[in-house]
Amino acid sequence: MDIVSGLLHGFQVALTANNLMMCVVGVVLGTVIGVLPGLGPPATIAMLLPLTMKLEPTGAMIMLAGIYYGAKYGGSTTSILLNVPGESSSVVTCIDGYAMARKGRAGPALGMAAIASFIAGTFGVVALMLVAPPLARLSLAFSAPEYFALMVLGLAMVVLLSGESLTKALLAMFLGLWIASMGTDIFSATSRFTFGQVELMGGIDFVIVAIGVFAIGEVLGNMEPTKAPDMLPVPKGLRNLMPTWEDMRKCRFAFVNGSVVGFLIGILPGAGSTIASFMSYGIEKAVSKHPEEFGHGAIEGVAAPEGANNAETGGALVPLLTLGIPGSGTTAILLAALILWGFKPGPLFIQDSPELFWGLVASMYIGNVLLLILNLPLVAVFAQLLKLPAYMMYPLILGVSIVGVYTSANSMFQLALLCGFGLLGYLMRKLDYPTAPLVLGLVLGDLMEKALRQSLMMSQGSISILFRPIPSVLLVVAALLLIVPLFKKFNAARLQVIDREA
Amino acid sequence: MFVRGARAVALSIAALAIAAPAAAQWKPTKPVDLIVHTGPGGGSDLLARAMVTMIEKEKLVPVRINVINKPGGNGAVAAAALVEKKGDANTIGLITSVWIAGPLTSSEAKVTVHDLKPIAQLMLEPAVFVVRADSPYKTLKDFIEAAKARPGALKQSGGSVTSRDNIIRLSLQHATGAKWAFVSFQGGGERLAALLGGHVDIMVIEPQEAGEQVRAGKLRVLTQLTEKRLAGWPDVPTLKEAGYDVALTPQIRAVVAPPEQPADASMYWENTFDKLRKTESWKKYVHDNQLEESFADGATLKKTMVDIEKQLKDAYTQAGIKTVR
Repeated sequence: MDIVSGLLHGFQVALTANNLMMCVVGVVLGTVIGVLPGLGPPATIAMLLPLTMKLEPTGAMIMLAGIYYGAKYGGSTTSILLNVPGESSSVVTCIDGYAMARKGRAGPALGMAAIASFIAGTFGVVALMLVAPPLARLSLAFSAPEYFALMVLGLAMVVLLSGESLTKALLAMFLGLWIASMGTDIFSATSRFTFGQVELMGGIDFVIVAIGVFAIGEVLGNMEPTKAPDMLPVPKGLRNLMPTWEDMRKCRFAFVNGSVVGFLIGILPGAGSTIASFMSYGIEKAVSKHPEEFGHGAIEGVAAPEGANNAETGGALVPLLTLGIPGSGTTAILLAALILWGFKPGPLFIQDSPELFWGLVASMYIGNVLLLILNLPLVAVFAQLLKLPAYMMYPLILGVSIVGVYTSANSMFQLALLCGFGLLGYLMRKLDYPTAPLVLGLVLGDLMEKALRQSLMMSQGSISILFRPIPSVLLVVAALLLIVPLFKKFNAARLQVIDREA
Repeated sequence: MFVRGARAVALSIAALAIAAPAAAQWKPTKPVDLIVHTGPGGGSDLLARAMVTMIEKEKLVPVRINVINKPGGNGAVAAAALVEKKGDANTIGLITSVWIAGPLTSSEAKVTVHDLKPIAQLMLEPAVFVVRADSPYKTLKDFIEAAKARPGALKQSGGSVTSRDNIIRLSLQHATGAKWAFVSFQGGGERLAALLGGHVDIMVIEPQEAGEQVRAGKLRVLTQLTEKRLAGWPDVPTLKEAGYDVALTPQIRAVVAPPEQPADASMYWENTFDKLRKTESWKKYVHDNQLEESFADGATLKKTMVDIEKQLKDAYTQAGIKTVR
C-alpha cells in the first residue's frame, strides 16, 4: 500500500465513531496521567491492558497510543507550575519552565509547551509514516560504541547547564554519576553502594532524585524567609496567558531542533525521551544568541525539550512497528498488547496488518490536534493554581511529590530517599550548586557505563572500537563543547592582561 | 496413659473431621493480593494481569485479585513483602527463576525460595539459539567450531551474567572447550538490536520473539533449549539432538505463598491454578505466547526450585561468579 492510499484508508479507520472515541479517551487519559507525577504511561497502559481484551484491537491500540503521547503533553504542567516533573521526560522543562512561572509567565510557558508538543508530535508522525523502514535499518547500525559517544556528548552539555561556576556544575554531575553507579551490576552480578539495603539493589530511580532536588528542595528553600513570600503573579486575560508572536518567533529553531533531535533519538532502542529532551535543551542553548537567559526563563528552554519528548514518541514507534524491537518500557508493553490481541509484531507487521498501522498513524494526527485543542484552554485553568497562597501551595507541592513517588514505587523506603534528596536539593541551593547537572549525570551515567563496557567486551578490550566514524564525530563535538568555554575564559584573561599592560 | 492416648487420638480425629471439610471449603472472602517483582508492564506483571483476567472470566475465584507491584532487587523486594505477610491466606506471589538466582549472588536478598511456601508451577519459558539469517553458522556446531578456532572473538548478547542465557553459554563452553564473549544488555530490545545490527553473533531468545524475525528472513534458529521439540518448531533440533548433552536450567513461572500460610488455603490456591491451566483461555495464552505448559503441584515445585538453586550455584561457582550462600 503506498503512502497516499494508506493514509486515506487510515483516516477512514480512525474516523469511525468508535475509533475516534477511543482516541479521545486515550488522549484525555494521557493528559491526566501526564499531569500526575509518578503515574506514567507504562503503569497506566499495563493496568488497562486486561480491559482492552474486550475491545476491538485497532481501537484499543489507538487508545493506548493516545495515552502514550498524551502523557507527554501533560508532563510539562507540574514541571512549569510546581517544579515537580510530571514525567521523566519533563525534568529538563522544570529549569526554564518554572523560572518563567516565577516571572509571571506561567501561561506562555504552558501554552508554548502545548504548541511545541503539537508541532514536534506531528512531525514525529509524518516521519514515522514517510521514513520508518529505512531509518529503522539505520538505527541498527547504532551500537554500544555509538551510544557511549552519544552519552559523552550528553554529559559534555553540563557546560551548558552550569551557572556561575563550572567546577560546581562538574561536582554536581559527578555526584549524579556516582548515584547512577548504585545497584546490582549486570556484568558481574555484584552489588555496588547498596549498604546492605534490598531496596537499593535496583539502583535509585532518577525520578525520585529529580522530584527531591527540584520540588522538595525548592519548597524548603522558599520556606526559609520569615516574611511570607510574594505570590506568583498571574496576569489576567487570555492574551497574556498565551505565547506572543515574539515568543513564537524566538522558538522557530526550537521547534525544528525538538522535532529532529526527538525523532532521531526516539528511533534508537537504547536512548529514550529523557535523553532526547536533555539533548535538545543543550543544543538549543549551545546555538542560542542569548545563552545567558537559559535557566532564567528562556521560552526556547521549554519549547525544545517539550517538542523533543513528543517527537520521540513517533520515533520510538519506528523500531516497534517496523522491526518488532521495543526501545522503551512503554513500547515493550505495546508489543505485549499486540501479541495479546493476536497480532504478530515484527518486520512483516506493517505488510500483514496495514489497517492497524495506517489507522494508528492517522489517529495520531487526529490525536495531536485533539491534544492541542484540549491543552490550550487548560492553560487558563492550571495557571490559576499559582494564585494559591504559600501556605496552601507548599503543602500541595509536597503532597503531589509524595503521592507521585509512592504510586510509582509502592514503598516507604523510596519516600525516605525522596526526603533525603529534598534536603540535598536544599543544601545545593544554599551553597549555590546547580541541580540540573546532578540529574543529567544520573540519567546518562548508567547508560554510558554500560555502553563503554559493552563496547570493550565486543572489541576484546581494544579501545579502537570507539573510533568508528559515528562515535568519533560525536566525541569530537563533545570535546569541542568542553574546550570552547575554557578557551573563551583563557582569552578573556589574556585580554585583561593586555589591558592592564597597556 | 492409655486413656490419655485414646483421648489424644479422639481429639485428633475430631480435629481432622473439622479440618477436612474446611480444606475443601476455605474460600477467600476478601480481595486477594498477587505480588509480582516487576513494575507495571514487566514480564511477570503482564502474566499476572493476564492470569487475573482469565481467572475472572472463568469465575474461578469469588473475590477480586489485585496485582501488587513490588519492583526492585531482582525479586528480593517482592520476596521480602511475601515474608512480611507470614501466615496470610489472602496473599500469593508469582515468581520466576530470578527469585532463585538473586539471593545466590546478592547478600542483601535475605529471602530464599526455602522461606516461601510453594503452591504450583505454571509453565516453563522455552528459549532458542538464533543467529542472523546471513550468518555463516547453519548449526550450533558450526558456531561452536568457529568459537574454538578463534577463542573470544565471537560474541553473544544477553542479559545479566546470572541469567539463563549466560548459564547455557557457560555449560556449553565447559563441555566443548570453546570460548566466546557474553555482552550484557539491560533490555530485550537492545539485545535483539545488537544481533540484527551484526554487532554480536548469537543470542538466546524466547521463541515467540524469534518467530516473526524468522518468518521475515532476518534470523535463523540453530537449536531449541528444551527437552523436547516445541510445537512451533518441529524442524529445529533440541540441544541434545544437536549433540550437546548439557543440563538445561529450566526457566520456571510459578506461584508461591507467604510462609506458614494455612494448609487449607494453600490447597485452595493449588486447586485454583490446576483448574486455571485446564481452561481454554489458558491453553490459548500458552500457545499464543509459545510457552511450554508444565504444571506441577506444590511438593514437586519445591523440589524443582531446590534443584534449580543447586544447578545455578554450581554454574556460578564454575564461572567464577561470587556466590554468597
